[in-house]
Amino acid sequence: MHFSEDDLREALKRKDPGEGFTQRVMARVNQSKAESKVQQATKKPNGKFLSWWMHRPAWAMAVVAVLLLACGIGGYQYSEYRHAEEMRVARAKQQQIQQEAERARDQAIMALEIARAKLNHVLQHAQLQAEPANKIRRERL
Amino acid sequence: MNLANRKLTQILVAAVLCFSALRGVAQDAKLQLSNLDKLSEKAARVTDVTLDGSLLQFAVNMIQKIDAEDKDVAQLQSIIKNLKGIYIKSFEFDEASQYSKADVDGIRAQLTSPRWSKIVQSMEKRHNEYDEIYVLKNGDKVGGVVILVAEARELTVVNLVGEVPMDKVAALERHLAPGEKHSDKPKQKKESGHDQE
Repeated sequence: MHFSEDDLREALKRKDPGEGFTQRVMARVNQSKAESKVQQATKKPNGKFLSWWMHRPAWAMAVVAVLLLACGIGGYQYSEYRHAEEMRVARAKQQQIQQEAERARDQAIMALEIARAKLNHVLQHAQLQAEPANKIRRERL
Repeated sequence: MNLANRKLTQILVAAVLCFSALRGVAQDAKLQLSNLDKLSEKAARVTDVTLDGSLLQFAVNMIQKIDAEDKDVAQLQSIIKNLKGIYIKSFEFDEASQYSKADVDGIRAQLTSPRWSKIVQSMEKRHNEYDEIYVLKNGDKVGGVVILVAEARELTVVNLVGEVPMDKVAALERHLAPGEKHSDKPKQKKESGHDQE
């Protein structure tokens, strides 16, 4: 196909778009925006799901009630578990203190027993040593 | 106002001085026994007791719980309640001469202060036995006691800090030893001498 120079000039020359060109363009733009919004709305996955629940309020209430009950029971059990755990730790701590105290008591009794034994041992030795001297003194008298 | 302030300051100073004096007595009465630790390796039997502060308070509280009606427990309580510390190091050896004179002198050196008085000394050079009792004077009261038993096969240092009623300690019943205190066995008669085993 061959175009002459006149054909090209004719094809590329400035043309008047006519009156209301801007309005037509803007109307077209708004229309395409509205169409895309509608498309997005119809694509929402929750839309059907929500509408299903909206039409069955009793079911929705029942599910909410079950969830609340489960949360309540779970919370109660957790608090019970925490309480039991705290009690167990406190008991173990108290038992440890008790054992420590008993050990301290046994040590104190043992220490005083040793002190008593050694004190009497030393006193007895000293007394035994003093006895011959007293005997000699008595004999002299 | 000034007079009141001065009085208050005087009272505070007096309280601080009293406190430091009491603290000083307690610190004086406590011996440094760490130089004997090395003997643990040679000893056949080691007894190491360190009871002070909260541990001693624990012991006092526990002893009170044993049996408040028991006469001997009451006696034990009366001894222990005024004590500030009980420190014992006892070493028994299989063979003689396992510790040196320097070990014993290290203890004696701490008892040279004029506040310490040697009230009993028993020496038997033939058997290499030196037994001594020292008392720390705190006014007209006893602020601490040290019983030093240095024999051929034994070295024992008993250090009681605080008010020590010596007569009560000497008269303690043997059945209060740990393990026997709760038994219903008839009380053993007090044995004199070297009878801790």
